[in-house]
Amino acid sequence: MTQYSEDEAWTDVEPLPQDDGGAHPLAAIAYTDEYNEAMSYLRAIMAKNEMSERALDLTEHIISMNPAHYTVWLYRAKALFAINASLHEEIAWLNPTALKHLKNYQIWHHRQTIVDKLDSAEGEIAFISRMFEADAKNYHVWSYRQWLVRRFDLWDKGELESTEEMLKTDIRNNSAWNHRWFVVFGRDDKVIEDQQILNREIDYVKAAIYMAPQNQSPWNYLRGLLRCAKLPASTMKDFALEFASLDKPDEVYSSHALDLLADVYVEEGNAKEQAAEALDLLAKKYDPIRANYWNYRKSLLDQPNVVA
Amino acid sequence: MSLVSGPGRGGMTDARLPRELRLFVDKHVSYIQSLDTRKDELEYWLTEHLRMNGLYWGLTALHLLGHPDALPRNEMLDFVLSCMHESGGFGAAPGHDAHMLYTVSSVQILATLDAFDDLEERVKGGRQKIGHYIASLQNPATGTFAGDEWGETDTRFLYCALNALSLLGLLGLIDVDKAVEYIQSCQNFDGGYGNRPEAESHSGQIFTCLAALSIAGRLDVVESDRLGAWLSERQLKNGGLNGRPEKKEDVCYSWWVASSLAMIGKLHWIDGDRLASFILNCQDPDGGGIADRPGDMVDVFHTFFGLAGLSLLKYPGMVEIDPVYCMPLAITKRILEKPDVNS
Ligand SMILES: [Zn+2]
Repeated sequence: MTQYSEDEAWTDVEPLPQDDGGAHPLAAIAYTDEYNEAMSYLRAIMAKNEMSERALDLTEHIISMNPAHYTVWLYRAKALFAINASLHEEIAWLNPTALKHLKNYQIWHHRQTIVDKLDSAEGEIAFISRMFEADAKNYHVWSYRQWLVRRFDLWDKGELESTEEMLKTDIRNNSAWNHRWFVVFGRDDKVIEDQQILNREIDYVKAAIYMAPQNQSPWNYLRGLLRCAKLPASTMKDFALEFASLDKPDEVYSSHALDLLADVYVEEGNAKEQAAEALDLLAKKYDPIRANYWNYRKSLLDQPNVVA
Repeated sequence: MSLVSGPGRGGMTDARLPRELRLFVDKHVSYIQSLDTRKDELEYWLTEHLRMNGLYWGLTALHLLGHPDALPRNEMLDFVLSCMHESGGFGAAPGHDAHMLYTVSSVQILATLDAFDDLEERVKGGRQKIGHYIASLQNPATGTFAGDEWGETDTRFLYCALNALSLLGLLGLIDVDKAVEYIQSCQNFDGGYGNRPEAESHSGQIFTCLAALSIAGRLDVVESDRLGAWLSERQLKNGGLNGRPEKKEDVCYSWWVASSLAMIGKLHWIDGDRLASFILNCQDPDGGGIADRPGDMVDVFHTFFGLAGLSLLKYPGMVEIDPVYCMPLAITKRILEKPDVNS
């Protein structure tokens, strides 16, 4: 481990200890000392705004101990650009650092800054896949991926296929479902009017629901499709009946199907009793923790011309 | 206020007789008071970048528990002002760069301590300075806000801006309509909101979007039935709430989901008693503090959001919280209803 006070490269720097206003004995724990020493050198070179190779080394050391320190990232980015350091090397270093600190998010904004400057997405999707092996629902990584797709026009470069692969691994991955929506519909508002694509999406989502009927994500996706394409719920009546039917109230395989059926019955106009029955089943038997919500939906039945 | 976790664990995982399910007020107060005495632990230093948020969480938690004076006012004030930059922004601790997240916490602390006058006394024109710093982070073209000079955008920062500026009586410095438009562009196919347009719906981001819209007086743009359905679906059989579909429950979502429901008048759509039991079960009954779920280490973040959730659920004896500002309701009322607030 570096001992800055005994390192020749740092003899010109007078470390600046943190002054937090009180008299507290600093710990005798070695690791704490190492961190605090490094930080006191960082404060010193930041005070004179030093942009140098050793500033990069120092930030790398601090980040290895504490990647959540946003000021260090900011300073590192400034220094990188100021001394024209190799951005490819930066990415090569960022990869293991990101894999080691999975929960950290500062790193993703830093990466975005670097990749934007590099003006190349080469290797990025492959690295993201490695991140997803460790945490397939990492919000910041998905967010970064969306930026990447837009910034480098990757819409047709295997995004749909790789998202499908992820859903094959875990059909309940809501992040992947959201990404599918983004890839299919995010590029152009008109896509939703394309009957072929719409049918493909409906088929895909139905197949997913057969695999796990109680999975919220594909049902939300299906509802989104109906809504955006302005299709009535009744187009899904037969499909919903495969998972829930008022004739067999003890054999409901999906509360979401029951929910959809309630809307179908509301749409049908003359089936208010059935709608009430479906909502009752949800309130009393299949989703009682949200009984107040289902009862609210039921109360809407008595209002004229309201579709829940 | 340090973010060191532990030393205790939440939940009654040992074999003793089950305790009566209640809130251990005194334990939590001393837990919060003890946090800043742990400077011999590495984690204390590693969480320095969250110190300002930690102080806001700790201080507000004490208010909710009915112990507003359990931390020394002057020391808190000194600390907050020592983090202020010439730009008007605040860092997480002295020497840390200014960032929106710490600036809003600072303003919230100053508001809670009724210290806007102290601010003016010590920093001439301080209120205006802060206001201009925040306003400078708005992108005039899109309406959204960056967190700092590096330009990362997130609906969180937009909310922070509206929160702080309205407390300071300086909302007029920004383009509120554009900010509202931006939030609308973050609405997803499932009715929720993400941190940017098209990003996955997430309860935390929904909270920031709804609270920002509340401050802007524009909750009318929300499809509250559809959003309320999505939010209420976050409650799991154990009573706890998750942040996204098919994720685990976590005490901090007790706040983000429940406050969002409260803002659209649908808090009764989830089972409040079961949520309260879930939170109470995450307490460390001996050392105080609340964990993310039973069996895990307690920390001030989950302690605060657990208490905030209980307060929202009107747990007996607690001070009422404002679902929009995440501060005691009496305090936001005092500030926002001041007749000269926009002077
Ligand atoms: Zn949490």
